[in-house]
Amino acid sequence: MKLRFDMSPADRAAYDALTGKDEKIMYCLPFDCALDKRVDGRMVFTDQYIYKILGGVVEARWEIRKMSDFSVEVLYGCCAFYAKVDGVSTRLCRFISGRNQSRYTTIVGACEALAKGDTKEYTNDEPERYCQKCGRPFVMHTHICPFCQNKKDVYKMLWGMTKGLRLMMLFPLLTATLAMGIQYVVPVLQKILINDYILFEDERANNWFISFVVVVAGIVLFDVLNKLLSVLQSRIAAVAGNRFTRFLRTLLFEKIQMLSMSSVQKKSTGDLMGRINNDVNVVQNFITNLLPSYFAQVLSFVLGLVLILTMDASMGTYMSAFIFIPIPFVILCIYLFRHMMSRMNIKAWNKGQRTNRMLQDVLSGIRVVKSYGKEETAVAEFRECTNAQAHQNEKNAKTFDTVFPLLGFALRSGSYLIMWFGNVMLFQGRLDVGTLNQFNTYTSIIYSPLMQITQIPRNISAFMTSFGKIMEILEEEPDVADTAKPEHFRFKGNVSVKHVTFGYESANPVLKDVSVEIKAGEMIGIVGHSGCGKSTLINLIMRMYDPTEGSIEIDGVNVKDIAQQSLRSQMGVVLQETHLFSGSIRDNIKYALPYATDEQVITAARAANAHDFIMRLPEGYNTIVGEKGYSLSGGERQRIAIARALIHNPPILILDEATAALDTETEKLIQDAIDKLTDNRTTFAIAHRLSTLRNANKILVIDHGRIAEFGTHKELLDQRGIYYKLVMAQTRAALEKG
Amino acid sequence: MATATQEKKQNIKEEDDLFAHRISIDLTPENARFTPSGGNLISLEVTQPSGDVEFFERIVPVRAFPVSSPNEFISIREPDTQLKGRGSEIGMIRRLSDFPDTVSALISDELSRRYFTPAIKKIHSFSEKFGYCYWDVTTEAGRVEFIMNNPTANIRTLEDGRVFMYDIDGNCFTIEDPKALDKHSYRKVEVYL
Repeated sequence: MKLRFDMSPADRAAYDALTGKDEKIMYCLPFDCALDKRVDGRMVFTDQYIYKILGGVVEARWEIRKMSDFSVEVLYGCCAFYAKVDGVSTRLCRFISGRNQSRYTTIVGACEALAKGDTKEYTNDEPERYCQKCGRPFVMHTHICPFCQNKKDVYKMLWGMTKGLRLMMLFPLLTATLAMGIQYVVPVLQKILINDYILFEDERANNWFISFVVVVAGIVLFDVLNKLLSVLQSRIAAVAGNRFTRFLRTLLFEKIQMLSMSSVQKKSTGDLMGRINNDVNVVQNFITNLLPSYFAQVLSFVLGLVLILTMDASMGTYMSAFIFIPIPFVILCIYLFRHMMSRMNIKAWNKGQRTNRMLQDVLSGIRVVKSYGKEETAVAEFRECTNAQAHQNEKNAKTFDTVFPLLGFALRSGSYLIMWFGNVMLFQGRLDVGTLNQFNTYTSIIYSPLMQITQIPRNISAFMTSFGKIMEILEEEPDVADTAKPEHFRFKGNVSVKHVTFGYESANPVLKDVSVEIKAGEMIGIVGHSGCGKSTLINLIMRMYDPTEGSIEIDGVNVKDIAQQSLRSQMGVVLQETHLFSGSIRDNIKYALPYATDEQVITAARAANAHDFIMRLPEGYNTIVGEKGYSLSGGERQRIAIARALIHNPPILILDEATAALDTETEKLIQDAIDKLTDNRTTFAIAHRLSTLRNANKILVIDHGRIAEFGTHKELLDQRGIYYKLVMAQTRAALEKG
Repeated sequence: MATATQEKKQNIKEEDDLFAHRISIDLTPENARFTPSGGNLISLEVTQPSGDVEFFERIVPVRAFPVSSPNEFISIREPDTQLKGRGSEIGMIRRLSDFPDTVSALISDELSRRYFTPAIKKIHSFSEKFGYCYWDVTTEAGRVEFIMNNPTANIRTLEDGRVFMYDIDGNCFTIEDPKALDKHSYRKVEVYL
């Protein structure tokens, strides 16, 4: 991110007036908040002073050497930059949250250095999140600015996505066009039929019957052909649509699986599911159904007009004029009603969403509702939601069902004019019945697409929204990616953490300059109060995230250079919350090693102390578990998870509070299992209950993101530090209970 | 025997130090003296129930109910620091109006800097594009363009009719009374209320 912004000429002049020649501008950041106003000011950091410049006036100047304790605090709707000046806390400036927070965090470090006289230049490697051209944010996790992005690129992307489907997409277009063409042939034959056979006055020609049959057969034939084509078109559209959906869904799902933890966690499961299901459907429907039909309709409209005009130039002009008379009126009406209609639709949608949310909330919390006896409140709330929804839907239906038929009538009123005009012409003998019929049929063909053309803008915008959401995921660059030539090798299990600093948001580092060496086969217990960064350290070792500074090495190789596949396949993980997939116990244990033999499954289950309880289940290892399956207790699930972690014999084992939620007896069983499996494996165990860590070779105490203590159980007890106190407190608690 | 008991007591005391947290007290005009600090922030001299007097060079006021009752239950805290983590609560003010005007003005002033939620006066335009909503509004703090992710989730109507709108950076804008907006502005938010 940029740390040196430009100053306006006035600001620059104010700055120049105050400064000496030997001063060097190190950084210049905007600040945009003053008391209760939004402003556009600059904080200029030189190697000697900090200047606060607003509107061509230097509001304040601080000597950087007299300052200390720089910090950025996140307030509500804004952030503030504080420091101590001569030991007095001072607020230097305030700025709106979001855009500049990360810059100021870097500046905090830079200022601390400058205050000590160190003029090393700090940089912020985080990518910009806002478009440099228009200042609007990029689509999340990408560098796409939806406003500055070249429209051509969007279409190119769309075109690229249709690879392999292009022929299929062309076909509906072709058949739709053909079907349209045929529509216009039939009235010509009808005209011949009416004029030459129904209203004939002269003597019939000798072969009249044959030509009559030919004409009738032609009408039937073209009708049949038309129907056949539309059948063909629907079939092809269905096939193309399905293929397109399948293709796009798989692409999306693949991409989501490839995304890093950090970006997946920012999106809710519901949101991702919505994109895979609904948005893909919208895009598919647009491309394979709507697009060809719009194309055909526009074509039919133009073709119809041309035909009417060419049939009889003078009369055709009148006719087409009549067609167009009601159109401006109808378009005006639709335009006027458009906002009202979309508002009504959004309202109905919102009310529906509210009902859904309420349903989901209450149903998933049904235990709480029942145990507090709040059923009636829930019912009343639900009734209110559905009532509001029903009311809105009713209102919408009434309005739409009145407005649309009326508009349709108004639109078709042109045909009455045509009928009147045609009949006048007929009585005057300037038009024959067959031609009049042809005119009438053509006008009705022209009118049919008109009503639908009015919906095109809405559908296009719905398509663009859904397409944008899909592209947002497809274009996302995973922040944890394999290098060009990732390494694959079997771990011994030496792990070294070197000066690692990391925060989920760069403004709040969770780990600060953490360094630790772990030898292969050691069990490390990680202790600290909640939120101190224990799980974060584990996440970094598993490379769910990459550290902001520093590195993590396994057997001397930076984890960034190890193939993620290879890295994760050599780690066994047991978490506090165990997720079992729906399927049998056997499938769940085999999850990490699909080709495991049944023997291996049993061995792993035995090692996890799970074998006995599994054998007591009626279906043994084939018992179905997961959301809809057999309900296992927490301890049982945990032991299956341990077996799952064990089956591929990982050199590195991670236990993240694996026993925290269990009772003492189950914990004992699991503890025994764990003792067995930590032999000869590098093990990281996070635990609140220190008894879990009695076999640990070393204990790592983390406090406020820093390593507070590291050593053997005995060493730490002798140190009488945090660990000692924790142990004493837990023993005392245990004794008091007893 | 006696020494062992003594040592145990000593240990217990040490543990207590570790787990001891500052005990938050009710702050009243009698036991708390708020003064402007040298750096234009707030200092506090507090008399603990034990009679000890403690001085804080800088305190931070935080609202417990920023939305529903902004001037009651104000937590007075030590500032968060990078080294020590989150600051702990020194005490709580039950009602800001219990304090003399100069003090409540001092604290209100600091609170208004902490909670920056400009009220929207006029909505110039609203458009939805690529799944984001773009708002162009005039607020008390000047004209602002902001971007919202999902209007149904980020526009919140309170029971008293006030509206809170959150942009993608987590900044908050309010509408004190949507019905009091001009007709065009109201139309633009109406559907989300």
